[in-house]
Amino acid sequence: MNGDSYVHFADKEYILNKYHDTSKPFNGFGRFIRRDALFDPASGMEPESLYKLVEQNDIAAGGAPHSLRKARAIYTLLENTRICCDSRDRFPAINIVDRPLKKCIVDKWKKEVFQQIIPETGKLRTQLENDGIVTIWPDYDHSVPVWERVFRRGFTGLYADAKAAMDTLESRRPLTPEESAFYESVFISCRAFLLLCARLEKLASDTPGARRMAAALGALQHRGAQTVYEALLQIYLYFMVSEHVDNLQVRSLGNLDAELYPFYLSDLSKGVTEDEIRTDLAYFFMQFTAIGNYWNQPFYLGGNDAEEKSLINPLSYIILDVYDRMGIYNPKIQIKTNENTPKEFVLKALDMIRRGHSCIVFVSDSTVRSALEKAGATPEEARTCHIKGCYEYSVDGSLDTGMNYVNLLKPLEYCMHGGNDGITGKAAGLTCPLEYDSFDAFFAEYKRQLAHLCDTAIEVVNSFENYFDNINPQPLLSSTFPSCIEQGRDAFGGGALYNDSSMSFGFIANLSDSLTQIKRLVFDEKKYTLQQLRGILDSDFAGNEKLRMSLLHNPEKYGNNREIPDAFARDITSFISGYICGKHNAARRGGRWNCGFHIARMVYIQAPLTASTPDGRLRGEELSKNVSASMGQNREGITAAILSSTKIDASAFCGDAALDAGLLPSAVRGQDGLEAMYGLLMTFIGRGGQAIQFNVFDADTLRAAQANPEQYRDLQIRVSGWNVLFNNIKKEEQDGFIRQAEALV
Amino acid sequence: MEGVIFSVKRFAVHDGDGIRTTVFFKGCPLRCAWCHNPEGLLKANQLAFMPDKCISCGECAAACPVSAHIIDSEKQTHVLNRDACILCGKCAKVCLGDALTYYGERVSVEKLLPRLLEDREFFASSGGGVTLSGGECLEQYAFCSELLAALKEENINTAIDTCGFVPREALDAVLPYTDTFLYDIKAFHKDVHIRCTSQSNRLILENLKYLDSVGAAVEIRMPFVPGYNDGEVGPIAEFLSGFSCITKLRVLPYHRYALSKYESLAMPANLPEVIPSKEQIAQAEACFRSYGLTVV
Repeated sequence: MNGDSYVHFADKEYILNKYHDTSKPFNGFGRFIRRDALFDPASGMEPESLYKLVEQNDIAAGGAPHSLRKARAIYTLLENTRICCDSRDRFPAINIVDRPLKKCIVDKWKKEVFQQIIPETGKLRTQLENDGIVTIWPDYDHSVPVWERVFRRGFTGLYADAKAAMDTLESRRPLTPEESAFYESVFISCRAFLLLCARLEKLASDTPGARRMAAALGALQHRGAQTVYEALLQIYLYFMVSEHVDNLQVRSLGNLDAELYPFYLSDLSKGVTEDEIRTDLAYFFMQFTAIGNYWNQPFYLGGNDAEEKSLINPLSYIILDVYDRMGIYNPKIQIKTNENTPKEFVLKALDMIRRGHSCIVFVSDSTVRSALEKAGATPEEARTCHIKGCYEYSVDGSLDTGMNYVNLLKPLEYCMHGGNDGITGKAAGLTCPLEYDSFDAFFAEYKRQLAHLCDTAIEVVNSFENYFDNINPQPLLSSTFPSCIEQGRDAFGGGALYNDSSMSFGFIANLSDSLTQIKRLVFDEKKYTLQQLRGILDSDFAGNEKLRMSLLHNPEKYGNNREIPDAFARDITSFISGYICGKHNAARRGGRWNCGFHIARMVYIQAPLTASTPDGRLRGEELSKNVSASMGQNREGITAAILSSTKIDASAFCGDAALDAGLLPSAVRGQDGLEAMYGLLMTFIGRGGQAIQFNVFDADTLRAAQANPEQYRDLQIRVSGWNVLFNNIKKEEQDGFIRQAEALV
Repeated sequence: MEGVIFSVKRFAVHDGDGIRTTVFFKGCPLRCAWCHNPEGLLKANQLAFMPDKCISCGECAAACPVSAHIIDSEKQTHVLNRDACILCGKCAKVCLGDALTYYGERVSVEKLLPRLLEDREFFASSGGGVTLSGGECLEQYAFCSELLAALKEENINTAIDTCGFVPREALDAVLPYTDTFLYDIKAFHKDVHIRCTSQSNRLILENLKYLDSVGAAVEIRMPFVPGYNDGEVGPIAEFLSGFSCITKLRVLPYHRYALSKYESLAMPANLPEVIPSKEQIAQAEACFRSYGLTVV
């Protein structure tokens, strides 16, 4: 059976064009552009008029609490948006993919906060970003609802639970106005969701071939899901409403295999065929392919149950198999992997990866649990934590933020320039000496500058995150969080079980390699003074090409299992986690700070603003990814890269420490190759690694794809926590991957 | 005692079971027409030079005791006078462009062992270990024996990749410490073998019988080279079907990737022109399977 047997060809065409016009050129942010043509004008209001109505209603409601205003806006949108059901699809369509509330409401509230309440913070944030020092933006991108409650209770149940919780709280004491507004916002959101279901049910009832969809939509207005199909429909609808209406990205569709398994068994016992379930899954996955979220829509598989047995079940294999046959790359799949994850399952996933499914990433269950427990989570909370986003993780019912990226090379520029930026010359760091008596003194100064930068970044983030529940209150998400409805507080306003913030630190390899060379050249061999080296870097190695080549060729590079640079990587990451983890975040959020080493797109955004570095890298050249070696410097191959990266104690912080594992197709061919990949993965996990993503490619193929894109339409590439079609990335990014492939040994 | 090697390759995946580290020894008694490791043919030291990688930094010329490197930085040309070169390897050590590679590192077991043990965790998780290859590693069997014994002390799985054209005492020296022999069979008929390799296969076939008699575990490898030994598949399969020591067999499709290595070593390359098709390989594998052999 091939993919077309699950999703009929005509249906596939319909679904892929459901939200976007696929005949138009790819646009990474295309998901924000509506495709109105699909929708019958009689099914609802014209979108722009609707948005205007929402905006006008909101202006009229000025003065009311933001949570209420947002819930009412959600209601108006879901009451009036155009909708569509079609016999070619098993899931309905809603004419909102452009996140109107962001424009109509949230951005205005954000502007109010940044310009009126914390204007200095706003300016500082812009300056940090423009100079490539720290890139910060408000993170509405990493929520995961309590899926179990969404399925089991449905929105009627969630409404009833909120009502009961409010009554309990009110029986003890009068509610504050804020609490009253919160509960009201939850009620309105739940009603809005149910209203959408009712509208869709009616439309589906009138649509030939959509009777099953109508029945499920009818049922979901009165109870939780009882079948795999109903659960998938509920996930999809929640996703659409949260991500596109409520302006909060859903960064995991959940532990799909474990959560759906009871429904799967129940379906089978009632005579539903496995093939029918496979087809439902295929139509479900195709929705996310069609939505085309640039960072890919994640869900995860695996983990362990309460008795520490693997949660991999027959449905896990079915999910992988359906996905494999469909030939898609979005949604993406994270596998919560343990030593007891069945080898057969892992091998199936690895085989998919080497055949080009770079959408799969492995996250170590034991490492993330250890990190969460060290940070104060209970063992049960840690066991049931969600994998979300790229390879982040969090306890169920908590709301973490983390779109803050620190450039680790900037404090190094400060140390060498008396506290000034190496590119702009601005006094961005702390004033410091130009020369140092010893490397230890220099390194201590680096840490002082880094700590100061952390303090600055934290101050900026705390300052605006304190207003998060005012900027983008979350009635829908909060309705699924027991801790929110028990306390009468919005998830962002201290309601979530854990309400943490995270700071990401980029380019650990370039930093470690640079420190290694400074120590050698300036302090051990005394070939240059620090200021002589600074002069060479300021001139971007002009006239010193031989020195630069010798720096590039020096074998003491992180990622090659070398003692000195690896020790720097471990030291710096420990210093950061020790300095940051546990600090208080914004008072109204009431959580703690965490850190991670994920760079997202900073390798392209911050690198051009970063001076040349003592490891031989020229000014503006790309920088290292995640906890991987610097570009082209993993000369000892993948085993050495794993040994180096796992010297970083990834259990000391609740964040990502992902290794990008590039492999040549010839190295992993055949059963031997598959077993070797398994050996790499298990050694990585056994040594306490956090996440590993494989890219199996060779330079010739990538070059051919660049030259003849039409012949390589399906070639996927793992970027940094997400995967894309090679054809869809910029040439400079393609060139980066080609260089990376050329360096593979 | 010292061995002469030309490379240590980590994450070697197809040189025996699991993830392996492979040591390549210099020197080989055969002259296979298709040899893809020309740097392993001679036991003598060799210098490889790839002019296109040269960045004209002049480091090699400065390090060379006999002025064998002639560099014109203005014209950006670099000529290696191989007649003058004394193969000391000093230039390769300082080369900044990866243009010069020196083959012929002399290593003691003591020096080599830590490098081989670096990936032992990967060996454990994948059922891998260390493979000795070449060239023909058993040309240096006394050193191999010492190295293998040291690896066994560390409980490392060991494999020997051999052409089989070695004296019996070489096999006896390594047998106690070798878990698997990766054993090349290139032709069954003597005349074909001579045409392919310049040597008779009598000793090779006898040595295989010997390994069978002593209960060694053997993985057969057959390089498949159209126009040379593609007619030998059937006879080899029939011959091998009588052995109980063979655990599996691998057909190695000939490729021409080694061409640039010959050029860099200034060695004449008369490599076969034709590479096998997938269908030819599949046919050969099917033939071996039809004789009850496990093909991987």
